Amino acid sequence: MDGLTKGYVLQRFLMFLLTIWLGSTLIFFIPRLAPGDPVSAMVNRISLDQGYVENAEQIIATWKARFGLDDPLWVQYIRYWRNIFSFDFGYSLARFPTQAWEIVGPALPWSVGLLSVATILSFFVGVTIGALMGWHQTPRWLQILLPSSLTFASIPYFMFGIVMIYVVSFQLGWLPSTGAYSRWVNPGWNWAFITDMVAHAILPVVSIVLTSMGGWALGMRGLMISVNNEDYFLLAQVKGLSPIRIFFRYGVRNAILPAITALAMGLGGLISGSILVEFIFAYPGTGYTLYESIITQDYTVTQAIANLIILITAGSVFLLDLLYPLIDPRITYGKNVG
Amino acid sequence: MNLQINTWDSPWLNVKFLLGGGVVLLILLIGWLGPVFWDTEMAYTGSAPLNLPPMWSDGGTNDHPLGTESNGRDMLAQLIVGTPSSLKVGFIAAILGMLIGLALGSAAGYLGGWWDHIIRTISDSAITIPSLVVLIVIASFVQMTDTTTMALILALFAWPGPTRLIRAQVLTLRERGYVRMANLSGASAWEIMFVEMAPNMLPWLAASLTGGISAAILGATGLEALGLGPTRVPSLGLIINQATTNAALVRGMVWWWLPPILILMVIFIGFFLMTIGLDEIANPRLRRFKASKHERMPKKTAVYPVSIPLSSPDGEAVPLEVHDLHVHYFTPRGEIMATNGVTFSLRKGEILGLVGESGCGKTTVAMSILQVVQPPGRIVQGEIRVNGKDLNRVSEKALRDLRWRELALIPQGAMNALNPVTRIREQIGDAILAHESQGRTELEKRILQLLNDVGLPDRVISMYPHELSGGMKQRVCIAMAIALNPDVIIADEPTSALDVVVQRVVAQTLLEVKERLGVSMVMIGHDMGLLAQVVDRMAIMYAGHLVEVAPVASAYEKPLHPYTQLLIESIPSIKTRKPMKVTEGLTHDLRNPPPGCIFQYRCPFVEPRCREQRPSLVEIEQDHLVACWLY
Repeated sequence: MDGLTKGYVLQRFLMFLLTIWLGSTLIFFIPRLAPGDPVSAMVNRISLDQGYVENAEQIIATWKARFGLDDPLWVQYIRYWRNIFSFDFGYSLARFPTQAWEIVGPALPWSVGLLSVATILSFFVGVTIGALMGWHQTPRWLQILLPSSLTFASIPYFMFGIVMIYVVSFQLGWLPSTGAYSRWVNPGWNWAFITDMVAHAILPVVSIVLTSMGGWALGMRGLMISVNNEDYFLLAQVKGLSPIRIFFRYGVRNAILPAITALAMGLGGLISGSILVEFIFAYPGTGYTLYESIITQDYTVTQAIANLIILITAGSVFLLDLLYPLIDPRITYGKNVG
Repeated sequence: MNLQINTWDSPWLNVKFLLGGGVVLLILLIGWLGPVFWDTEMAYTGSAPLNLPPMWSDGGTNDHPLGTESNGRDMLAQLIVGTPSSLKVGFIAAILGMLIGLALGSAAGYLGGWWDHIIRTISDSAITIPSLVVLIVIASFVQMTDTTTMALILALFAWPGPTRLIRAQVLTLRERGYVRMANLSGASAWEIMFVEMAPNMLPWLAASLTGGISAAILGATGLEALGLGPTRVPSLGLIINQATTNAALVRGMVWWWLPPILILMVIFIGFFLMTIGLDEIANPRLRRFKASKHERMPKKTAVYPVSIPLSSPDGEAVPLEVHDLHVHYFTPRGEIMATNGVTFSLRKGEILGLVGESGCGKTTVAMSILQVVQPPGRIVQGEIRVNGKDLNRVSEKALRDLRWRELALIPQGAMNALNPVTRIREQIGDAILAHESQGRTELEKRILQLLNDVGLPDRVISMYPHELSGGMKQRVCIAMAIALNPDVIIADEPTSALDVVVQRVVAQTLLEVKERLGVSMVMIGHDMGLLAQVVDRMAIMYAGHLVEVAPVASAYEKPLHPYTQLLIESIPSIKTRKPMKVTEGLTHDLRNPPPGCIFQYRCPFVEPRCREQRPSLVEIEQDHLVACWLY
């Protein structure tokens, strides 16, 4: 049978685990492949930046002991995975005695909110623009207008963000430039907080949407042009269906399937980009927390948050994978397993 | 005659690609020529006055045309040093990623099996890892003293994209004929990969490379902007980092933060233009779409000579008349005349077979009747009358109304004629609902009746096309075509791509439908044997012209045109084995047909007159028309 077979779900779940394993293992091993160890490297980096660190030797020795960095690599690796599975990364180094997850936890909703709104918006706007660009019956004025919306497509989010902060926040003073909400509002389900939160989210969301939708649009345009040449598209015209129906049920409905695969493939890049956006706007999400943990040398928080972001990305891709067979009746993955 | 062979017609001469390439080259020149004109030492030593604005604003000096920053370093010098270092990282990382991708992708695509499975799984999952997170973690531990280290680390994330692309390309290419030929002729795997495949993949590889370079530059700049890149050498990202951490935005030091961003934007736009240009080079469909305007007829109505329509002898109403149809394909290499004055009419209740070798224009005729000639083709002249209405001149709205009710199509159903993602119910239902309003239960009953009429079981209604066999799909197409009881049906090779037994069943279904509904049909095909059993009259087409139109019996027993004779002789027979008559393909250029008869080069009876004057289609015997000077 079609759709969500056990085999398909299992296969996708294995992919999900593989992605997490790959990402987390990279984070574990590459710093350790470098000469020295993470702690010495970190302390060295601080001394490079600041000229001199007091008691550097002593700091290195205590930290190494605390993280068991003198143990054999495989012992460390097993311990690392135990930490990931129990999501227990120990205490924050910079804000002892706070637990690492207590710092990471509050950051999560901000990122999830910002990113899901931005991703959904940019995907749908981009796909719509692309579909219209790849369709012969699109009105002429739209065909001239749409390509100009791709002007921003190539500019990285954060650069656009900086320009927006300067123009919209500093010059025009229309919208706030930093944080997720103002200090004077009372977080909760009240109108003042919600409007303030939305005002703070506008610029980050707009910079992600404007600069990422072009990619979806271009991809969708190509897919739509391929569909334009398919026999069923021609038959739909000959049947005398309304252009709107042909566009959606025969064009978009078919072209969007590969676009959704592309969305799953592109999520990692989108999340990467949003880290920089959070940094530029000092938005208190996971990306900004990751950055903070690195400048405050908070080793445990860095580990926790990096693994969390990898987990969330892999989880979102897994969800999209589960969604896919529901919209493409042809998928039968049963035979692909094993 | 519009025969333009343009030597400047290479697909590589793509405006976007060249423009983007030019921009990138220009930026590279800053790095190469900058140090010649400007003292780049000032990028490292902060000996200049602090926070100088650029020369054109108050307080600026000519010594530091773009101003200085808070450490007293010259902005111009920093940009000259920083730009090439940002580009260098991108190039190294992307090229490394491409090389890894080439090795893994071609191995996966070519070796197949477990290799393919493992490589694909790993690259698919690696592509979804948010690279910047891993990069940030790595960068915070590994000291990136120079750009090369950073490029090496970035290359870790630059390979999955190219790997996927190359694997897919190798898979498509290895199925192509010429690669198979090379394989059979004993070429080695490497030879095939590099000699046969690589040139075809070049534009794809180039697009992937330019995309990869800008992705790597983005990664590098991102790290630098976070302050995690090399801090000793100026780079564009580092300038942005220093500007933002020193509150250049709040202090209004536009000259500090804006120039690196502008240069990066120009770089990204340059690579972006190159990438989409290369996409168009690699994908001819994109190019064709861009070049084409979708028009049914030229806005200016052509003047055409009036001639006598070929109505049926007993004066009955003619459901379909095609008169003096000219369809041209406007390709970059010239105007191809796919049909050149085709005239015929379809009588009520008959099946007219339209036959000819591939490329003769028979499908173009069908597409013209249906008003779906694909660009760059266009109907340039002629009339197509369905029940007296000239389809070339009715409005879009009127055309949509009469479609399917008066004129339906039976496509080659075994192929891709049914929408793969919707159920049969919806595909037949939407055709009905587009023209009539009907309740849901009634509609369901009607669709079931249609399916039963063509011999399909009820369960087909809620199946998807991929669940049906070729013959079943073809019969679904027939059921769909008769849904509104149309006057005219165009059947476009309804039996090709089916096996012989199923062909018979489908042909039988068509005949039954015709008998029961009294519908008139144009059936396009090239299987003379099968057509003989189904059609009433035959129209034989060659190089865009009708050469003979005759009732099926006389067409087979007494073919008049030399081309028809060739076709009839070529029908294989089991009883009498005769040597196969060799019939070549087209002998002349469709852009520039010769004066005189279009069959002159292949005709065994050619006379001087055939070389000068083109014969027109005239009635030689009762209902038997031929275009030949022999009669």
